[in-house]
Amino acid sequence: MRLTQSFGSALLLVAAGVAQATSAWGFADGSLAVVAKKAAGTVKEKLNQKTPLSTPVSLGSTDTLKLILTATDNGDGKRPHQAFLVLQEQDSGLEAPFPLTVKESGKAAVQISHKDIPVQLLAATKPLKASVVLASFGSSQGLNTPVFDVKIETDASAPAPAYEKPLRYGKKPEIHHIFRPDPTSPPKVISLVFALAVAAMLPALLIGWVVLGANLNHLSKAIGAAPLSHACFFGSIVGMEIVFFMYYISWNLFQALPVIGVVGLVAVFSGTKALGEVQSRRLAGER
Amino acid sequence: MRSFFSLLACLFVAAVSALSTSGNRLLVVLDDVAEKVNYSKFLADLESRGFQLSFETPKSESLALFRLGERAYDHIAFFPSKSKGLGPNLTPNILVDFLNANGNILVTLSSGVATPTSLVSLLNELDIQLPVDRTGLVVDHFSYDASSAAETHDVILLPPPGPVRPDVKDFFSAGAAASEILAFPRGVGAALGASELLTPVLRAPSTAYSYNPKEQAEVVDDLFAAGSQLSLVSTSQARNSARFTLVGSAEMLQDKWFDAEVTTADGQTAKTFNREFAKRVSGWTFNEIGVLRVNWIEHHLDEAGAANESSPSIYRIKNDVKYTISLSEYSWTHWTPFTTPAADTLQLEFSMLSPFHRLALNPDPAQSTGDAAAYTAAFKLPDQHGIFNFKVNYRRPLLSNVEEKTTVSVRHMAHDEWPRSFVISGAWPWIGGVGVTVAGWLGFVALWMYSAPVKGRAAAGKKTQ
Repeated sequence: MRLTQSFGSALLLVAAGVAQATSAWGFADGSLAVVAKKAAGTVKEKLNQKTPLSTPVSLGSTDTLKLILTATDNGDGKRPHQAFLVLQEQDSGLEAPFPLTVKESGKAAVQISHKDIPVQLLAATKPLKASVVLASFGSSQGLNTPVFDVKIETDASAPAPAYEKPLRYGKKPEIHHIFRPDPTSPPKVISLVFALAVAAMLPALLIGWVVLGANLNHLSKAIGAAPLSHACFFGSIVGMEIVFFMYYISWNLFQALPVIGVVGLVAVFSGTKALGEVQSRRLAGER
Repeated sequence: MRSFFSLLACLFVAAVSALSTSGNRLLVVLDDVAEKVNYSKFLADLESRGFQLSFETPKSESLALFRLGERAYDHIAFFPSKSKGLGPNLTPNILVDFLNANGNILVTLSSGVATPTSLVSLLNELDIQLPVDRTGLVVDHFSYDASSAAETHDVILLPPPGPVRPDVKDFFSAGAAASEILAFPRGVGAALGASELLTPVLRAPSTAYSYNPKEQAEVVDDLFAAGSQLSLVSTSQARNSARFTLVGSAEMLQDKWFDAEVTTADGQTAKTFNREFAKRVSGWTFNEIGVLRVNWIEHHLDEAGAANESSPSIYRIKNDVKYTISLSEYSWTHWTPFTTPAADTLQLEFSMLSPFHRLALNPDPAQSTGDAAAYTAAFKLPDQHGIFNFKVNYRRPLLSNVEEKTTVSVRHMAHDEWPRSFVISGAWPWIGGVGVTVAGWLGFVALWMYSAPVKGRAAAGKKTQ
């Protein structure tokens, strides 16, 4: 088998220069026409099965592409079973076959316009590769050869051919949550300046009081009259502030409330006596 | 000693009768049970893999796919049948019910007999179109077996099919020698719809086409499909992972094409890959390969010094968490660690209605074992409280679906989890103000109680009152 094959191929080589290969499909009288609706722009090209057209043919949205050829088996016109014009998208390799209507004599023709071409090919950016496939049953070698390129010209005024990709299971684009920005603070210098300004108010206040004649001259008198009450009352006011401070630093409400209760009671009981002492000084005309 | 031997025997039996992951009851529907001699190698291969074959004809009265509401078989294999329909026991409705009940179906066609209407309807349901008149023949004048079909060109030769996309696992051609070739004799090609559940396994070569041998013997006036649009072996996996396979040529499963010798158009002889291909196609259909299992899922707080509780039901916003999922893949006889194809990734979604995060899960060798692979992802929870799901929705062609949802609550910050006000520099003037007020208040109380009036000035003050 292999021997006969190699013999055959040798024969083929010999015959190649003289005529077409023994028993192989081909075509003759190939011609391509792009007919515009307005008869002005008809383009005609002769087709050759050995060399494809060098420049792409452009096909507008109202144009019709007509391909006419005569299929030959070993040089004689004959009808093949398979006579397709195949348009191929160059990037994806997607193909669309267009069967030629073939007569008994091998004369074949096909017409293609935009509405015949699948939308995936219409949306192609590169020219489509058109090949002719001629083959049939039996031992004749089939022909599958590129003959020309078609550039699809879409109508600028019409909407572009919309093609929605079908859903395919695969990995999806990643999503990373965009977090809200963190709260910001003004520059520390500004905060510090204003904090110092606020803190400076305390000495300003105290100095103001002293200038106006504030003093603690009655302290000894008051302590002398009601030592326990005054100590407890003033102590409870300071203590209340300490409780508030502790609440701010670490305590929770349930730790703070009982202590506030105790300190408050002390303030009420010691306060009546201490403030009574203050009143007695006022009544005595000392204030 | 004897018990030891019987134990060994048990182990041996278990090892030999490797089973499909979803049962081993296989119904083989043949027109005539005597036809099974044609497929004896294929059926013997199935039997050796642990399937219990039951043979029935479509006409059989006792044939019932469901018994007491449960599937009576786990898988069905249809061989070509000359009957027009398949009778009342195999209506398209029953077959769809069978798929819905997680049963798997393998359908084989032949160009010699018209496909039964019942199967055509089932195929339509799955968005697979057959040629009109239920008859078609795929020929390729460029790639045929020159020794058996030199004149008719209807035994197509193809290389074993690679994966349909680069990110899909290669189940059907892996390990095939370059010289091995698939023979597809006298088969029917189908055209697949746009459904995402369909996957072509074997596509026709670009010069192949389908025609009706009865009506288009002379000339192909109306082309059904050609080239790679023509699917010779197609699969469909339902959302419940039930599998359906359409083999266009029943003859490719026959004994004569198993390990046969074919001659390509350029005169080379080659061995057919059909036997191994038939094993893989039936193995895929009957859940012996490409079946995924989730072993366990775990997530935990991934923060320094935090309690290391496993899979808590509540997290706080902006917590760092780590999610781990362990997956196994069944491969003929045993579970193996599942590795994603190189171009594919397993993804984790953290979603409330829509995903907030969709992140790649990376292999975690530390937690992987001999039969399970762990995949893990660490990320920061979004700054949005609510009920969220950790979701792994892994749907890929030819692999059974994995859809795992773990619900957790994400709470907002508690009042004592914010930074303290003294840490915030913007609060310093306000804190200073509180301190000054406190000190001023204490000073005022002391002065009010213990200050003696200034003489003279007090009198002047009184006058003005």
